[in-house]
Amino acid sequence: MTAELALATRALTKSYGSRRALDGLDLTVPTGVVYGFLGPNGAGKTTTMRLLTGLLRPDSGTIEMLGRPFSRSDRRRLFDVGALVESPSFYPYLSGRENLRALASAGAKTPRGRVDEVLEIVGLRDRAGDKVSRYSLGMKQRLGIAGALLSDPQLLLLDEPANGLDPAGIVAMRETLRHLAAIGKTVFVSSHLLAEVQQLADVVGIIAAGRLVREGSMKELLAGEGVVRVRVAPEEVAAAATALAGLVPSDHVMASSAEPGWLTVQIAPDRTAEVNRTLANASIYAAGLESGNDLEELFLSLTHDPSAVDPDGTFAGMAGRSTTEIN
Amino acid sequence: MRLFVSALRKLSRRLATYLTFGLLAGLLALIIVAVAASGGRGQNGNGPANPLAIVTFPGAFDLILSFILGLGGLFAVVYGAAIAGSEWTWGTLKTVVARGESRSRYVVATFAAIAVVAGVGLLVSFGIGVVAAALGATIAKVPLDGIGNADALGRLPEHFLRGWVAIVMEGSIGFAIATLARSQLAGIGAGIAFYFGESFASLFLPDVVKYLPFNLANAAVGSGGGFGGGGGGAAAASTPLSADLALLLVAAWLIGSIVVAAGFTERAEITG
Repeated sequence: MTAELALATRALTKSYGSRRALDGLDLTVPTGVVYGFLGPNGAGKTTTMRLLTGLLRPDSGTIEMLGRPFSRSDRRRLFDVGALVESPSFYPYLSGRENLRALASAGAKTPRGRVDEVLEIVGLRDRAGDKVSRYSLGMKQRLGIAGALLSDPQLLLLDEPANGLDPAGIVAMRETLRHLAAIGKTVFVSSHLLAEVQQLADVVGIIAAGRLVREGSMKELLAGEGVVRVRVAPEEVAAAATALAGLVPSDHVMASSAEPGWLTVQIAPDRTAEVNRTLANASIYAAGLESGNDLEELFLSLTHDPSAVDPDGTFAGMAGRSTTEIN
Repeated sequence: MRLFVSALRKLSRRLATYLTFGLLAGLLALIIVAVAASGGRGQNGNGPANPLAIVTFPGAFDLILSFILGLGGLFAVVYGAAIAGSEWTWGTLKTVVARGESRSRYVVATFAAIAVVAGVGLLVSFGIGVVAAALGATIAKVPLDGIGNADALGRLPEHFLRGWVAIVMEGSIGFAIATLARSQLAGIGAGIAFYFGESFASLFLPDVVKYLPFNLANAAVGSGGGFGGGGGGAAAASTPLSADLALLLVAAWLIGSIVVAAGFTERAEITG
């Protein structure tokens, strides 16, 4: 692990009883980026967040945060970290401002006036005097983000921060997080909103069944993960798949069970014409062709088969793995 | 200190604080005025020899305090459980831990604030009780001559101190139970069950139960269940401990409860 990393985990494991929530997670989060941490429900995103904030103890593996090893006993490291883990938690009988003041009394000392600053950042200043019990879900979410920003952290850990936010709130949040990354802070965002992460993140890590299945810059990942979707007559799907197997490896062609007649071909989008030509040469005429390289396709292809972990597709895989364990 | 002041501020804004002490003071005032208005009629032999004793000073001071400590014990358990349990139920403990705060320091600061609030509640309830007793005495035409009795007033600070420690210990029992249960409702329920369970058990195991928290609390203030005392006055009455030894054991329960709550929180995996 290097000093340029804001966060890194190596071989991190965590089980709840007999169920393994994390199974050797290797995350590598560079400093000064927005890192999108993606995964389907139950993949281990929230468990990872809890481990990173000292709420849970890992069964094994290491965490390095802001250039130094982190364990639960090293709580002061979290003074430089802001976190929103799961749903935001507040005292319902206190106002938004009072809740932030209560929060500011714990952990790192917060400068006077910071509470109003963060309320301004998240657009809650006008409603800061209202009791939290009267807040909408989106307002609670904003207040949670404000709480995470209180200590002006070097590293921000946000679990599903867009939950409950209206479109304007999402845009404002995106701009705020992008600004934080631009001034050198690191933002680690767990989400299942792929379109949002695609717009927000510089680097993406995809987790499935407790393991990192892909990690890299958004640009790199999407460049290599284009797809072309083809629609043919349902009775021609098998023939089309056979024909396309001559163009790409056969396991790069998948027939959709949900949408009869559709096939997904893993191939760069600029080779769409080749796909069409291959089908035409087999006397199969496509009724529809769609190409793209969106995150959703990559996400679905990776998380449908979590056993297909490519260690070389992650920063840790490229850098080599650490097997140091902590208890 | 920041944590303690913040915890005090939170408690001062919380409805449960006013509900708990309002209910206690309200019941006390209601009973005193009702006893006075009825002129002591309806005595069934289980209460004090003279029902009007609660409005007759200077003895009324001790009876009012005894009532507050008896019923207040139950209220303290519920209050302590409500405060500790809500930290888990609402997830606010999680947020504080994620900010790097020491778990045990947070628990101790929160409980210290409860102890202060309990002291204030004790004083205010006593004040309301004295006013109600004076009003009752006027209604029942009992002379108020003893209200300025120097001996009785001189004993009050020590009684208050002992009562405060006892009430705080009872609050710590609820606090620890709710922490172990990680739940407000479960903590309150278990706390109440413990309170009445101890009272019930004192019928069968008085020599054991006299070392349990609520009996010790009664013994430490020398009320032995007294006027409205809860938690099993029967055990205290069978083979009573000295008030000083009981106070020592009350302190041990208090410290033990907080150590258990802090230790559990320190080690707990926070998943909620």
